[in-house]
Amino acid sequence: MYAQAFFVAVFGLAAIGFGVVVFRTSSMVRSALALLFSQTAVGCMFLAMQTEFLGVLQIMMMATEMSIMAIFMVMFMMDPGGLGGMDMSHQKRFSIGAGVSAAVVAIAVALLSDWGPVAEQVPDAEAQTRALGMELLGRSMMIFETAGITILTAMIAATAVAIPVKNLASKDNKEASE
Amino acid sequence: MTVAIVLLALLGSAWLLAVIEGWMTTGRLSPAAPLYSGLAHLGRESIVPRSPDRVFFEAAPVLLLVVAVLGMAVLPLAPDLIIADLGTGALFINAALAYVLVAVIMAGWGPDGAYAMIGGWRFLGQLIAYSMLIVMPITAVAMRAESLVNTAIVSSQAGLWNIVYQPLGFVLFFIAAMALAFRAPFDLPTAEGDLGGGVDAEYTGVRLAVLRLARLTLVVTLASATTVFYLGGWHGPLFPPWAWSLVKTLAVAVSMLLVGRYLPRIREADLMRWCWILGIPLALVNIIIVGLLILVVP
Amino acid sequence: MSSDLTINSTGARQKRPSLLQKLVSRALARNLSCLIVPGPEVALAHGLDIRAAGLRISTTPRDASVLMIVGDISEKMCDAVAVLYAQMPRPRAILLVGGQTPSTLPGADISSGLSQDQLTEAVGRLERAFADGAFVDSPEEFDSSVLHARIEYVCPMHPEVVEDEPGSCPKCGMDLVAREAGESTPDHEHHHDHEHHRHEHEHYHDQEQQSHHDHEHHHDHQHHHDHKHQHGESDDHSEHEHSGHDHGEHDHSGHDHEEHDHGGHDHGASGFMSMIEVTKDLPRSADGLQMDWLEVPFGPVFPGLPGGLKLTLTLDGDGVTEGQATSLVGMATEGEGSEESQESEGSQESEEMDADTFIEHLASAIPLAPVSYRLLACLAIEQAAGLSDDQATTQARNSALERERIASHLGWLAQSGRQLGFAWLTQRASTLQLKVRDAGRDRIAELEPELRTLGTRLERTPLLKSRLKGIGVLPVDSSDLRGPVARAAEDGGDAWARLWQRLDEIAASLELLKSGEEPELPVLRDIGNASGTGKATVDTPRGEARLSLKLEHGKVKSYKLDTACSHHIDLVPKLVEGQELGDALLAVGSLDLSPWEVIS
Repeated sequence: MYAQAFFVAVFGLAAIGFGVVVFRTSSMVRSALALLFSQTAVGCMFLAMQTEFLGVLQIMMMATEMSIMAIFMVMFMMDPGGLGGMDMSHQKRFSIGAGVSAAVVAIAVALLSDWGPVAEQVPDAEAQTRALGMELLGRSMMIFETAGITILTAMIAATAVAIPVKNLASKDNKEASE
Repeated sequence: MTVAIVLLALLGSAWLLAVIEGWMTTGRLSPAAPLYSGLAHLGRESIVPRSPDRVFFEAAPVLLLVVAVLGMAVLPLAPDLIIADLGTGALFINAALAYVLVAVIMAGWGPDGAYAMIGGWRFLGQLIAYSMLIVMPITAVAMRAESLVNTAIVSSQAGLWNIVYQPLGFVLFFIAAMALAFRAPFDLPTAEGDLGGGVDAEYTGVRLAVLRLARLTLVVTLASATTVFYLGGWHGPLFPPWAWSLVKTLAVAVSMLLVGRYLPRIREADLMRWCWILGIPLALVNIIIVGLLILVVP
Repeated sequence: MSSDLTINSTGARQKRPSLLQKLVSRALARNLSCLIVPGPEVALAHGLDIRAAGLRISTTPRDASVLMIVGDISEKMCDAVAVLYAQMPRPRAILLVGGQTPSTLPGADISSGLSQDQLTEAVGRLERAFADGAFVDSPEEFDSSVLHARIEYVCPMHPEVVEDEPGSCPKCGMDLVAREAGESTPDHEHHHDHEHHRHEHEHYHDQEQQSHHDHEHHHDHQHHHDHKHQHGESDDHSEHEHSGHDHGEHDHSGHDHEEHDHGGHDHGASGFMSMIEVTKDLPRSADGLQMDWLEVPFGPVFPGLPGGLKLTLTLDGDGVTEGQATSLVGMATEGEGSEESQESEGSQESEEMDADTFIEHLASAIPLAPVSYRLLACLAIEQAAGLSDDQATTQARNSALERERIASHLGWLAQSGRQLGFAWLTQRASTLQLKVRDAGRDRIAELEPELRTLGTRLERTPLLKSRLKGIGVLPVDSSDLRGPVARAAEDGGDAWARLWQRLDEIAASLELLKSGEEPELPVLRDIGNASGTGKATVDTPRGEARLSLKLEHGKVKSYKLDTACSHHIDLVPKLVEGQELGDALLAVGSLDLSPWEVIS
């Protein structure tokens, strides 16, 4: 129990630490990978809290996602190496305000919610996975499928928008005919 | 104890692979060669390039090694010879292997050299090509076992190995595993002819020794994963379970090394195209076939 | 142990007396890997079997402990060699095989002649040198003028202002920023990215693929600092270009950057930066994505290219936007009509050359096809001397030429294998090349089945066709094609066609050898004291070479050489443009350029 709390705390602090690094560096790639390791630490928190599937999933998904973010940074940002000493933070006052109020809300929710009785025994990883699968393919199926399709659509749309129109004349014609 | 045995097996396999690799390139079979090579690396100076991203440069080889060892930790050598028999073992392998990409990107970005950087991003560019073909065949394997537990996956193959049950999945997984370990002919991030060593190019001395060890370990881990998922893991007559696991793993690893020797490096664009238009549909077909088999055959 | 069996102090490491170090020394001695300059193909052409001599061939200086220099190398290569040596991790040694110590390097540790036996013996000495002398009490820094880059100071706004000292610009009063001398003003059209600027710096005085040793650089910290300045500067420029701000008005008030000591490197100066604005005027590459362009040298000692060839590619991600090839080892010959005698590789020859000396000179200047050029010189001189053809010698000489053609094409196959990461091909082809090189007719007849199965094996190799088909297609209007490249132009003109053309030529040469005489090295017949002019053409393995020369009293007064590679090298820019990096290099490789035969 104490060990568990200890590890949750350690990974939590690591997550926060890496999160700070995201903004303390001027290199885009470092920033992206710091975010990755911050998320990995969150995944490790899940593991420490005995939600194995979610933790492993989080750790797995973030690796590829953040790597892809890193390459987009390199492709589109001017100074991915951070040699210009760029500052990662913008709109300081607003963001500090937003951060503080979000933290207050989160802490308030954590403290004021009725979390119910403390579970003495958690189901083992296999049972959790099974339960999660049943949930995903039962009650929550619609939500997840909708979310999945939406994300896919957004990705395709974003890519389509990013590709420059090869033939401007034909595009104009099309627009004119519409 | 289990930890020590598995690590020893991992190290021993890596050593054996190094011997075989040396045999293939120099034509001499010398069991001491990897040892000498390692010592020589210790003796060489370990150079840091001029303006590196020091954190990435130092961390990349270590991360690669850690990832390979972590992957091995959830793979059983025998029913009770496994470091951690996770309830989500098959997923954990994916998670660990995803960090191979991160390590390669770090190794590419770290030294601040054009060749390394192109190599690192190349590996990311091929992400869809290999990662989907790792995940989707494993999905079909887990479907048959009705479990993500790796020991359960091996047990499910007691009667019939998955290589027979789902040969399509095996082929795809084997190819993807080679691409993930960036062995020839998929050695795009390290391509010597194109990039003069790519992500490996700037490492020397101890760091290079760690990197080489990590790459060999990764091959062993992936070969072990192939064994667990498709070759029936520890199942086999006469010999003890661990022996079967080791023999199969080494056979797969050696075949990975051998294939690369007789093939030219694949074109980047071709790898990507074939994976999209052939690999992923075939992986889906594999899942459907396995699903039908599970439902139809009792 | 004798004192000559230790390693040069610029190559050894600091000694710390311990048992471990002794063990490590022994391991080092057993684990020698060599970087071959100019390239493994030259060693092969000289008939050296590196592997059999007990050395591992390394492809990068970082992985090498022995710098092996085969034959004499040109002045330009000396600079590159110094950089390579500096990049090698200590302990490192220099092994000279049949050549002089390059001026830029400390003395050779071990020298050997150009024969397999001498090499094997030299490797033995090298091993002992490593075992005994890998660690010394006082290692020295290796320093060479080539490694230093002069720092000069320029005004970011006025590129014409270049000063040796830091200060402010006389025109606008801005602080001058540092850059390495010799580098042109950062071209904003091409290079927007700071990271890439950084790469450029690195490669600029590197000439090679990798950066310098940290520890070799006295002014390392200085450099780092300079980069910052530089990037600040160029970054600034981009803002100017796209948003038209005046530099002086770049204020950073309201931005709490601590290290804001040099002008305007702040992206946030005008709120969020707009990538669209910043990149809208950048040139677009084939894929339509605007990215930073980065100029990367490949060579002169690059595993995928013949040694001595330097390819400079402008990369856009993994694609090549433009590129050009130069030869660092090419022959220097006189221009047409000039009266001066030829001068080559820095050696000061007398005004005219003895006919035999000339032949030797020409043959040794082109290590990849010495027989062909020996034959060419003989033919031209004999014609100048007015000798008529002699049936028997002609046949024997032609046999030697065909034999060299087979060997040369095998060498190309080995090189392609290296480029393609196709280890089997490299090993097979180089083994065969070593066997064919000086084989008699009977021996070649024995080797014939092996040579023929090579083609069958390549035909059956999966992925090979898809790798080569459609790569390096020559532009339709290419002129001056010669040799296999020209002959392959008819059926596709891509790398795949050129591979098969060469394989077919191996088969054809085998037939010719079967019906011909025993191959004999061309030897000049007695020409006495003749004078006259002569012209000859020989179909060398890489295409026709033409030589015309003027003979006076048995001495070569002047000559003019025209080779296939001099023309083929001009194809490179068109071949690489718009290709992916791997394809571009393969296209260049498929031309079988011999940088030695490029006349500069």
